[in-house]
Amino acid sequence: MSNYESYSKGVLYMSGYYARRIVSALITILLISSLTFIMMHAVPGGPFTRERPVPDEILRTLNEKYNLDASYFEQYVDYMKGLVTFDLGPSYSKVGTSVNDLLISGFPISAKIGLMASVLIVVLGIPVGIISALKQNKPIDYLVMFLATVGVTVPSFVMATLIIYFFAGKLNWIPSFGVSDWRGYIGPVLALSGYSLSFVARLTRSSMLEVLQQDYIRTARANGIREFKVIAKHAVKNAMIPVVTYIGPMVAAILTGSFVIEKIFALPGLGRHFIESITNRDYTTIMGMTIVYAVFYIIMIFLVDIAYGFIDPRIKLGKGKA
Amino acid sequence: MTKILEVKNLNTSFFTHLGEVQAVRGNSFTLNKGEILGIVGESGSGKSVTAMSIMGLIDHPGEIKSGEIIFNGENIAKKTNKEMSNIRGKEISMIFQDPMTSLNPVYTIENLMVEVIQRHKRVSKKEARRLAIEKLELVGIPEPAGRIKSFPHEFSGGMRQRAMIATALSCDPKLLIADEPTTALDVTIQAQILDILKKLAKELDTSIMIITHDLGVIAETCTKIIVMYGGLIMEKGPIDEIFYNPQHPYTIGLLNSVPRMDVEEKGRLIPIPGSPPDLMNPPNGCPFSTRCPRVMQICKEEPVPTFKVNDNHTSACWLLHKDAPEVGGFAKGSEIID
Amino acid sequence: MADNRFVFLDSNLEDAEKVRPSLTYWQDAWRRLKKNKLSMIGVVTIIFVLLFALLGPFFTPFSYSDQDNQYKNLPPVLDIFNVDEDANFYLSSDYNMFRLSDNGRLEERLKNTDKDPINKIYTYIMNVDGVDREVVLDFSYNLLPTKQGYDYDYTITYEGVEYTQPTGNMWNKTYPFGTDDLGRDLLTRIMFGTRISLLVAFIATLVNLFIGVVYGSIAGFEGGRIDDIMMRIVDIINSVPLVLYVILLMVLFNEGGLWNIVIALSTVYWVSMARLVRGQMLSLKEQEFVLAARVIGVPKHKIIFRHLIPNAMGPIIVSMTMMIPSAVFTEAFLSFIGLGVSAPMASLGVLANNALSGLLTYPYLLFFPAMTIAIIILAFNFLGDGLRDALDPRLRKG
Repeated sequence: MSNYESYSKGVLYMSGYYARRIVSALITILLISSLTFIMMHAVPGGPFTRERPVPDEILRTLNEKYNLDASYFEQYVDYMKGLVTFDLGPSYSKVGTSVNDLLISGFPISAKIGLMASVLIVVLGIPVGIISALKQNKPIDYLVMFLATVGVTVPSFVMATLIIYFFAGKLNWIPSFGVSDWRGYIGPVLALSGYSLSFVARLTRSSMLEVLQQDYIRTARANGIREFKVIAKHAVKNAMIPVVTYIGPMVAAILTGSFVIEKIFALPGLGRHFIESITNRDYTTIMGMTIVYAVFYIIMIFLVDIAYGFIDPRIKLGKGKA
Repeated sequence: MTKILEVKNLNTSFFTHLGEVQAVRGNSFTLNKGEILGIVGESGSGKSVTAMSIMGLIDHPGEIKSGEIIFNGENIAKKTNKEMSNIRGKEISMIFQDPMTSLNPVYTIENLMVEVIQRHKRVSKKEARRLAIEKLELVGIPEPAGRIKSFPHEFSGGMRQRAMIATALSCDPKLLIADEPTTALDVTIQAQILDILKKLAKELDTSIMIITHDLGVIAETCTKIIVMYGGLIMEKGPIDEIFYNPQHPYTIGLLNSVPRMDVEEKGRLIPIPGSPPDLMNPPNGCPFSTRCPRVMQICKEEPVPTFKVNDNHTSACWLLHKDAPEVGGFAKGSEIID
Repeated sequence: MADNRFVFLDSNLEDAEKVRPSLTYWQDAWRRLKKNKLSMIGVVTIIFVLLFALLGPFFTPFSYSDQDNQYKNLPPVLDIFNVDEDANFYLSSDYNMFRLSDNGRLEERLKNTDKDPINKIYTYIMNVDGVDREVVLDFSYNLLPTKQGYDYDYTITYEGVEYTQPTGNMWNKTYPFGTDDLGRDLLTRIMFGTRISLLVAFIATLVNLFIGVVYGSIAGFEGGRIDDIMMRIVDIINSVPLVLYVILLMVLFNEGGLWNIVIALSTVYWVSMARLVRGQMLSLKEQEFVLAARVIGVPKHKIIFRHLIPNAMGPIIVSMTMMIPSAVFTEAFLSFIGLGVSAPMASLGVLANNALSGLLTYPYLLFFPAMTIAIIILAFNFLGDGLRDALDPRLRKG
């Protein structure tokens, strides 16, 4: 077929591919929110069962306010309506605050730390992996791989506590909690990125090693391309393909890691609110934040899929979904 | 006849942690302008390593131990990688066996070819593109202007091989080395690729070196043949001489083991028994001594000198020595060169 | 060149290639695994950890819940003042004075007879051979305005001798890992904690293995629409980070408890095993031995369980080995956010979480559980990496 035909067929395929992914994502979101709703309301005793019994008057007012007397189904519809309008309802335990408020207050810090961690992972992990591959079996390679193995096996919360103990407790280089000054970001970012940074370094290295064995690298050299360009242009782009695939799980790791990291470093972010809501059995907040996390994750995966299509042209024309 | 390439006593080894693998143990040959030289031999005979040595693509733990490779009047065996990269793709080009994996899948053909052209010539991108399309047309790719924007996976195997050839030719090299160019392709495509190579030699005076284990390919295209075994050249000469007047038991063995259409009686195919020698501990004398049907004691003990059968035809076999027993077909008493 | 060497020899073909004995898949894999030093270290470590967890408690004098209020928060290494034979004093951060024997055993906590908060002087009594002797602690140095600029912060006076620096340190032989805030022996608690963490991990892995293998085999073997639907379900489950499901479930269950955690972990983590097994099935079922079995009339479930699954064992085993540290991690993670097993049963994660608040003063309380978690994860990862290389048929050289 002519180039034009294959190109337009490709576009159609791709838009079909994306359309299906969007629909799939929406279905997932619907399922997750319904699931969360069911689970929260399956808890016996209702949301106001506490150790200390709540006086009847207040209980009645609260039930009215939160529409808990209405039927199950009505509550479900209410909630779904709220979701579509991005209204996640009020917080049960923090009376007077809405879930949206909590989200907005916690977002900046979590976003900053998450973003910094992501940037660190990409900016440090990938080059380190490449260099390690180029200097395979030399001392620098062994050092890097050792550190990376440690980083992958030591859980993030253990790393966080180690960082606090040594750098805050013993050396006093960073504060042991909070982000009152810029140095307070170092600990959380390091602890949060530790695992993924090490993983990306290892992945990049093994991917580079495999790519460097490929025939097309030999072809490039045989055609006289300068060594630097052989590595930087021909090898790296191919080596990045599996690394891009990891970004999805990386986002998940950073998301879930933030729960623990924010608790340990006492940062007022989304993660900490989430943990608090769990401890307090604040069901609306738990529901709302779970859905927010899920949606965010789904969007990130979707973006990664698009990026993947730009790097590897082979998936464009009917090579099948992964 | 202008000499393009002269290889003198090339020795290439791989220094692995298990020992030194002597892949090429003293090869000498010449190649002239417009000639198509075929290097034939089994896997492990050293033919690919010879080619890679000429290209300067022997990588750690291998290296060229000794010998000279005279190209364009210079000994390129001693050049650094950086210096060689100026020659590769420009003066000497190489194409490889497996077209499916030999092209970088994430870049378009245009991107790959323009890169090579601009590396060696001072031209604009537009001019480079024009040259690329010209070469694609030369190798027979239909609608080259449109197809140049394709990715490698959008081409069939034969087309990819042609694209590789086009890239290799993009800067009009004097020497093209083809390492098993047709092994991975269908027979019909094989014929087409070989035709392209023959056309190049004839019309552009490009010297070609074809490495293969397939005698049929040799018969079809080459004017000169080198037969290698165990890292050494067993016999070399013009194609007619080698096919009709073989002067080495190994060559004879090869010819006997291939089905031929020009032989009247339906005899049996005779394979060569045994397996190739261990190049970490190569035998003292002739490498073929362990499998030769006419092996003599001296074959196992003394390295074989090269005997001159006639003007362009040499063979490294003790049977050609004046003291050797008379064997039918062998030109005993030939002069020793070396 | 001697003439007589131009003599034909009998053709005896010496084969240049040595023929090696062939090995079965498992023999070859075991041989390759043994060569891999790191995985062997992993195996040895795992065995050691298992022994530690299972047999260890029989060798400690304490149980995991024995409390001794006198000996709260004692670290494993103690700075001591050696004042006499078998009389080594240790001063805790909450100003309790202890006596240790010369080989590090905790003998007693000295009775605090007098507290003078103004002059910052505490007095203790040690009874030696029936006689009460006084031990005086003066910690007013660098604290009171009149006593500034000293090198040391406190002195201990006994029998007329004033000590300003610890004379050395000793390993706490009674409580080798120290004690927690309720006076419980940390070493025993870690042994039990390891038991629980590993138990949760093993059971959850087994359940995931079972569900995953069955699900994946059916999907892969049947193919077609069934496979499509089953994999679509897996995709949807996978769209959300699996930890979120576990968190929601734990909140739903409302209490920790070993079984709740196992159930929660088993609800979602089987998807990766299912996908792996399905992939294996898809490639294996095209092979001829499957065709042969079908032709003979072997029923479907037998084909799956007796022919296909055993051939897919390699990647399944590797996957299982990697699931264990993952489960240990997830359980510890849940503990850290308050959703772990409930007291008094304590997994390693719970121990670590409890130790968080006192991190800067009693770091050992966190160090030992964290180290144990890390060692377990590391050992299984090494083993898993080695198994992956050993069981990869492409790397076979036998």
